[in-house]
Amino acid sequence: MKSRADRIILLLFLLVSAGLFFVPGFVESEYLLRLITVVIFWVGIAGCWNIMSGYTGYIDFGPVVYFGIGSYVNAIAMTKYSLAFFPSLFLSGVLAAVVALIIGIPTLRLKGAYFAIATFAFAEAMKQITLEFDRTFKVSFFQGSDGITLPISGHDNAFFFYCILPVTFLVMLTHYFIEHSKFGYGLKAIKETEIGAEISGVNTTAIKLRAYITSAFFLGLFGAIEAYWITYITPSEVFNVQKTVQMVIMTLLGGMGTFLGPIVGAAFLTLLSESLGTRFVEYYLIMIGAIIIVAILIMPSGIIGTLKIRKRLRFI
Amino acid sequence: MAGLKCDKISMKFGALSAVQMVSFSLNPGEILGMIGPNGAGKTTLFNCIIGILKPTSGKIYLNDKDITGMKPHKICRMGMAKTSQIMQPFMAMTVFENVLVGALHGAQLKMAKARTETEKVMELVQLTEHADKLSNSIPVPARRRLELARALASGANILLLDENMAGLNPHEIDEALVILKKIRDSGKSLIVVEHIMRAVMGISDRIIALNYGAKIAEGFPEEVVNNEAVIKAYLGEKLSSLKVA
Repeated sequence: MKSRADRIILLLFLLVSAGLFFVPGFVESEYLLRLITVVIFWVGIAGCWNIMSGYTGYIDFGPVVYFGIGSYVNAIAMTKYSLAFFPSLFLSGVLAAVVALIIGIPTLRLKGAYFAIATFAFAEAMKQITLEFDRTFKVSFFQGSDGITLPISGHDNAFFFYCILPVTFLVMLTHYFIEHSKFGYGLKAIKETEIGAEISGVNTTAIKLRAYITSAFFLGLFGAIEAYWITYITPSEVFNVQKTVQMVIMTLLGGMGTFLGPIVGAAFLTLLSESLGTRFVEYYLIMIGAIIIVAILIMPSGIIGTLKIRKRLRFI
Repeated sequence: MAGLKCDKISMKFGALSAVQMVSFSLNPGEILGMIGPNGAGKTTLFNCIIGILKPTSGKIYLNDKDITGMKPHKICRMGMAKTSQIMQPFMAMTVFENVLVGALHGAQLKMAKARTETEKVMELVQLTEHADKLSNSIPVPARRRLELARALASGANILLLDENMAGLNPHEIDEALVILKKIRDSGKSLIVVEHIMRAVMGISDRIIALNYGAKIAEGFPEEVVNNEAVIKAYLGEKLSSLKVA
């Protein structure tokens, strides 16, 4: 139900997004601009995971695979087929979504830990395929562990800021749509009890698949943008399970299945590791680990989730 | 309009026959009571009908269409819904939203229409006062009515109620019976599984009795409760006929 709190949150979100649009014009420091870009980037990625796993409760442990597919599609399309960046970007999202459709149909039948393991295995398998494909078939396509060097864009940080901001904006807008739509109520019902959802008429398979594909599409976009940004990709880098772990922790920290969760979680963790990382170079990982443990102990449903429960508030 | 027809349904779990060759039909506008001791197979039979389980053999027809083995959401959209014995509301949602899920997905209504429909259903089952509360914070009788509301909102013409009055006190049962009659009078048919004899006798047009997965009696309420086999299933043999050492 659209409460007044929800409208206020949406309004604030739109205002902040609009304000962010002007940030590159004001911020002189390249470091600061880059930091803001990275925060927005992680908000978007954590949001992708939240769309699928946060709302349905299906813990996807291989979302990085769609990020990696996006990176590779973009790299191959741009280097081997000389496609321009924007068509190539779109293609990356679409192909990631197509793969999600093919993979989602069998894996979404699994539940709980089995789903997590299957998605994790798929991500690892994709990493191995990109590593070994060329050597096995004596071709030069994925370029294995040599990686692919993308055309140097010559674009500045502001360009990538403007690439990432709209995608994250769309991811969060999708969240808002989920909160107040038939689709969203279906997802939330699945999270509570899947059989209960089925007998209330929810086509659980179709709804789960839709969330999975949506999430994959956006992840593909992010992967493509990052590949173009850092201009050099290798399988172990783009399919790195650490990205998955970060998405999961950020969303858990913020609050699964909430609109504000990925925003708060990603911003908190990124800024925390940035501020601690520069000051305590040797110990900052231990400190972050400790902080995460304490945070989860105090707030088991995440910052936003616990706030909602403790204060008996209902907002997105 | 042919309502629901079950033809020789059997459900086996390994060597255990939970339901054996049960046939019955439900006529439009009828309330059919279903009784039987614990473990008689009532819930399993319901789960077969609603599509949660696929019967080992036998056919189920809804309005003359074969629905055996269909997915629950399809069966729901064709007009048959069930309430569960073990209440499973969507805990994190409000009562209103719980019912809304049925209206949106089961009845396939657009948001605005679904909301009006939800309000109507909540009025019918007297849940309006609880609308904005979380579904796990309302008392048991209201939760029972919530199950009912979710099934109704999905637009079902046939409702299967699995012990929808369990845990209610006599006064609350009377209230529940009034609601069930109202629902029947609005043109729906119901199958009511219930242990509370007073409830099931007072409301059913016909009753069928199950024991060990098989149908042992069918007929008007008075006939069934006076049936030898039914009495035996519930109470066992007469004391005098037992050989006491």
